[in-house]
Amino acid sequence: MAATAQDASAPLRGPEKKDEDREEDTEYSPFYGIEKGAVLQEARCFNDPHIDPRRCQQVITKLLYLICQGESLTKKEATDVFFSVTKLYQSKDANLRRMVYLVIKEVCPGSDEVIIITSSLMKDMNSKTELYRSNALRVLCSITDSQLLLQIERYLKQAVVDKSPVVASAVLTSALHLLAANTDLVKRWTNEIQEAVQSKNAMVQFHAVALLHALRSNDRLAVTKLVQSLTKPSGIMPGGVVRSPLAHCLLVRYVSQVIRESGATAGTGSEPRPFFDFLEGCLRHKSESVIFEAARAICNLKDVSTRELTPAITILQLFLSNNKPIVRFAAVRTLNKVAMTHPMAVTSCNIDMESLISDHNRSIATLAITTLLKTGNEASVERLIKQIGAFMSDIADEFKIVVVEAVQALCLKFPQKHRALMAFLSNVLREDGGFEYKKAIVDAILILIREIPEAKDSGLAHLCEFIEDCEFSYLASQILHLLGTEGPHSADPAKYIRFIYNRVILENATVRAAAVSSLAKFALAVEGLRPRVITLLQRALYDNDDEVRDRATLYLAELQAPAIKAPLAPWNIAPRNLEASLQTYLANGTDQPFNLASVPAAPAPKDKKDKDKRKQDVASPKKAPTAPSEYARALAAVPQLAGLGQLFRSSAVALLTEEETEYTVTLIKHVFPSAVVLQFNCTNTVAEQMLENVTVTVDLSEAEELEQGPLIPLTHMAYKEEGQTYTLLRREPGVLAGGKLEAVLHFKVKEIDPSTGEPEEEGYQDEYQLEDVELGPADYIKPVHLGNFRYEWEQLGEESEVADEYGLGSRDLQETVEAVIHTLGMQACEGTDAVPPNARSHTALLAGEFPGDVRALVRLSFGVDASRQVAMKVVVRSADDAVADAVHRIIQDG
Amino acid sequence: MAGQWWWQKLLDWLRSLFFKKEMELSLIGLQNAGKSSLVNVIATGAFHEDMIPTVGFNMRKVTRGAVTIKLWDLGGQPRFRAMWERYCRGVQAIVYVIDAADHEGLEQAKQEFQDLLAKPSLASIPVLVLGNKNDLPGALTANELIDRLNLKELKDREVAVYSISCKNQKNIDITLEWLTAHAKS
Repeated sequence: MAATAQDASAPLRGPEKKDEDREEDTEYSPFYGIEKGAVLQEARCFNDPHIDPRRCQQVITKLLYLICQGESLTKKEATDVFFSVTKLYQSKDANLRRMVYLVIKEVCPGSDEVIIITSSLMKDMNSKTELYRSNALRVLCSITDSQLLLQIERYLKQAVVDKSPVVASAVLTSALHLLAANTDLVKRWTNEIQEAVQSKNAMVQFHAVALLHALRSNDRLAVTKLVQSLTKPSGIMPGGVVRSPLAHCLLVRYVSQVIRESGATAGTGSEPRPFFDFLEGCLRHKSESVIFEAARAICNLKDVSTRELTPAITILQLFLSNNKPIVRFAAVRTLNKVAMTHPMAVTSCNIDMESLISDHNRSIATLAITTLLKTGNEASVERLIKQIGAFMSDIADEFKIVVVEAVQALCLKFPQKHRALMAFLSNVLREDGGFEYKKAIVDAILILIREIPEAKDSGLAHLCEFIEDCEFSYLASQILHLLGTEGPHSADPAKYIRFIYNRVILENATVRAAAVSSLAKFALAVEGLRPRVITLLQRALYDNDDEVRDRATLYLAELQAPAIKAPLAPWNIAPRNLEASLQTYLANGTDQPFNLASVPAAPAPKDKKDKDKRKQDVASPKKAPTAPSEYARALAAVPQLAGLGQLFRSSAVALLTEEETEYTVTLIKHVFPSAVVLQFNCTNTVAEQMLENVTVTVDLSEAEELEQGPLIPLTHMAYKEEGQTYTLLRREPGVLAGGKLEAVLHFKVKEIDPSTGEPEEEGYQDEYQLEDVELGPADYIKPVHLGNFRYEWEQLGEESEVADEYGLGSRDLQETVEAVIHTLGMQACEGTDAVPPNARSHTALLAGEFPGDVRALVRLSFGVDASRQVAMKVVVRSADDAVADAVHRIIQDG
Repeated sequence: MAGQWWWQKLLDWLRSLFFKKEMELSLIGLQNAGKSSLVNVIATGAFHEDMIPTVGFNMRKVTRGAVTIKLWDLGGQPRFRAMWERYCRGVQAIVYVIDAADHEGLEQAKQEFQDLLAKPSLASIPVLVLGNKNDLPGALTANELIDRLNLKELKDREVAVYSISCKNQKNIDITLEWLTAHAKS
């Protein structure tokens, strides 16, 4: 087992390192390479008339080792071992007896055999030796059934309050295991357990607290009461009855659970959370583990406020310079998590964190550096990157991936720094590494290219360099595809041709095929390159792989045709339709060539016959698309909606009916350049009905700028099937039409005959009132990543500025900023969505886009006055005044 | 009697100087036959009227003179009977205890006894059959037991039968004598 486990992780490490590990392992384990058969043979010594306790102990240890390694004994083997082990009971050797207990617990073959040992264990349970007593208790509790437990309950109950801590905690831990099947039994011991909680022994107290909590874990009120009683300071002990640090840690966890379940938040700050004082008090405990547990609990509080966070962060900061690696690790890991949600709160630790970068423990160093990357400001980015570069080669791949992800996030936050960060990524890309690691880097670069236009050229160049020496076909193909889509639109498309053609010559078939496609895209998009690419593609005609030759032939034919029909245009034929057409074609004889144009682009038209209709409905349960890109494709498949142009934005899904009503309708608003499409996803929850011809009409009396377009009905709505009906509303391009629209669901109901399961012929028309559809300016805005906000801001100039001020009342600054950004649906730039702790004022920069490529930039200035009233000044700059006004309108409405 | 006993004691002691004898015994029989009582009587010489049924087994070591006897006293309830064989393997003698006053259980006892001895792993291990409770009225004598259990038909195996009483400690001495004689040096 050990060997296989090692092999699995082997590819992640260097070759020398693996050998080192092997050596260590053989040195470490004296049982390396033992075999089950041999050990079972040895186990016969248990039957010897004269028992050698030392030898038997060794054999048992080997058996236990094998079982722990995942080796399983057959029923017969287990029974044999079990019975021969029982014979060891004759020995009085205490150490051997202990091993006997252990092995019985492990091999325990079945209740039929186990009973043979019961009386012996019961005798031991009442023995004078503590070791026998405690272990016999543990074994008995783990092997016996509930019936026998009732017989020994008296002894167990007594053992809870045994003077010996070993015995008491043995029965307490056993009870924890028994709890699942024998709750009532354990519940009867509550008084004894309460007494054990008061125990002076740390271990007993720990186990008793855990058991007491487990007993009540299903009852929230009882847990709260328990926590209350345990945290209450009593006269003699100011910290409450709990003295053991471990028990204290448990208590801290239970407290945080109670806080979480109570749903209390810091809220307005007027009312402190329950138990928060206790957590804060634990920060001054003398045990490090309790302090850490409390600090972690505070950091994990829901919606933790800065004021609550500060003491915990201070403690963790102290831990950062602790001399124990485990304490440093724990602290830096917690800070790392906090940095994701409250980056500003952690900045105070930056100096200590930086000294940890050189920590000899690489896990600590990695966590430190990724935390720094999250909290760091723009100025320190380059320095940090240099420091990471120094130790990247020393850490394991999984940590490298963490670093790469952190760098990617950082780059999105500070787009101006893309040069340094991109250079770092390309450096690490050149180093050795496994597939997962390389994939993480490539993904990061791909995201950066997409999000930061300025980084495109250098990113593509780095990727070109990478595929020159890339051993992973998957990554190479992915990059080639990207080059094909992005390359032709770059400043100098010609320079990529060489890189791509090199792949056609040097790589395996998969990559070659991808390279051919990529080349063809260049030829299609760039007129000047076409003759040269055609020459290159002609060479690929002699490739020895079918796929490569096929692609080259196809593209050559298309490129040399008199009029290029764009063979790479998006494929908008549903595979289902194509398959159906092809099958009909094959069935009808293949004299004529297959005509692709005959395949319907829209979903296959339905047959008139009822049977076929239903079959088709079952075969194609229309799943509502969820991802935005899927929306565009789904909408394009509807013929009446084709020709609306590029989908600009799709809203989130909103429910238009109460849950659990006859019909469930959800709404998605799609904005097109000159139209709005309301997509209604309808689900019929009445089994006895079949709905036909389902449409939704909206009342446009309040929205005069909108004009009614066609309704696209949903032909059938069977039970539990979701279908879509669309309502098209036309508007003038550039007009941000909106309003409250009353919506009504129209449909024809057909009852389903319960005897046949078929819908009846006759139906009746009916309608169903839906909740109002609200269409506002916020629906027309989409977030944009801006590389350089300041530059764009200056470009627009002051004349396009519309400013206004708003009073927001008493609120938390960070929450306010987040709320405003959410209402506007715009992208925060340059990391300005995070408010530094205790800030009295803050400026957030937002960017968004309206249909027609109209940018809107927003500068939000927040200020808090002495009475904690938040005031906000909103400055909007946009090329279009109507857009700027619209942004203000959103804020007024929100 | 007393003189002979002392003489025997002296001989035992002399023998123990040169030989250390040890033996392993399995004590089996139906429930309530008196196995655990017998162990107690052998080990401590004390008899208790009310015993609790043995769940599983009891292990006792008894030293008589130069002989150390390991006694596996096994539970007699039906659920334990399948396990008897495992504890009889490799012992120097099997002691089968029968409640001689329980006439109804005798047939069952005979059946279990024959099933056990039929096991190949236990071939040629000497067997001592003890008819316990001969203090009770109607208890079978040793000869009656031999007839009822068909002991005469047992071949290739040494078999002995005694009628004993744990309560009155009757014939315990000859039982021990027989056992010690079968201890191997």
